[in-house]
Amino acid sequence: MLGTSHLRLNCLARPESAKPIRHAVAAFLAVFELDPDFADDVLTATGEALANAIEHAYAGRDPADIEVHAAYEDQVKLSVDVWDRGDFIERERQPNRGFGIRIVQAIASDVRIETNGGTRVHMEFLPPTVTGG
Amino acid sequence: MSAISVIRLTGELEISRKDEISRALHLVGSEGGVLVDFFDVTYADSTTLAELLRFRREADGQGIPVAIVIGSRQFARLIQYAGLGDAFPVFDNRGAALTYLGAEAKA
Repeated sequence: MLGTSHLRLNCLARPESAKPIRHAVAAFLAVFELDPDFADDVLTATGEALANAIEHAYAGRDPADIEVHAAYEDQVKLSVDVWDRGDFIERERQPNRGFGIRIVQAIASDVRIETNGGTRVHMEFLPPTVTGG
Repeated sequence: MSAISVIRLTGELEISRKDEISRALHLVGSEGGVLVDFFDVTYADSTTLAELLRFRREADGQGIPVAIVIGSRQFARLIQYAGLGDAFPVFDNRGAALTYLGAEAKA
């Protein structure tokens, strides 16, 4: 099954949105029968980007949209984008905070954060290669 | 011998449960140590890590040992990815965690 498969999701930036979005991404990943640890890692990174957007993008005002786009290209490259139209605030690391981006960077093969008209976190993941056969 | 307190949470620990996690991780009658039982947690995110760090610091301040039981590989890797591999005494079963707390109480 080559080509690119897409999943596009939209939700309000509320804490209760994170779980169903994550489960929808999990269902998308399950189609490709990926390595379970790899799929879990993708969900972990997606969850961190999502939680960060929910917590910070629209802080102090009514929550607005967050969009999530997952794409699996030719069974080689998996990417997930999480973006909002809120404010990007460079936050200083507090003693018990700030692990989200560190976790994302530890998992993804490439991470790009664009802050033009909101915040877009683009994450790329390389599935483990299957050997043998 | 002082009693060991057990704090148990299950399921998916994430941003929607932030307040619940924060409320659960409190020191009450925990002089003999605290076993934080996350064995049946199926997913965790950095919300949980932040609360665990806060809790660990409070326990350290009172000289109370803490042991954390984690059953899910996702949670175990999350701790490593966050660079917190040495921040908590983590065990993969309750027996080992209780043994650790017993030894700490005698020390």
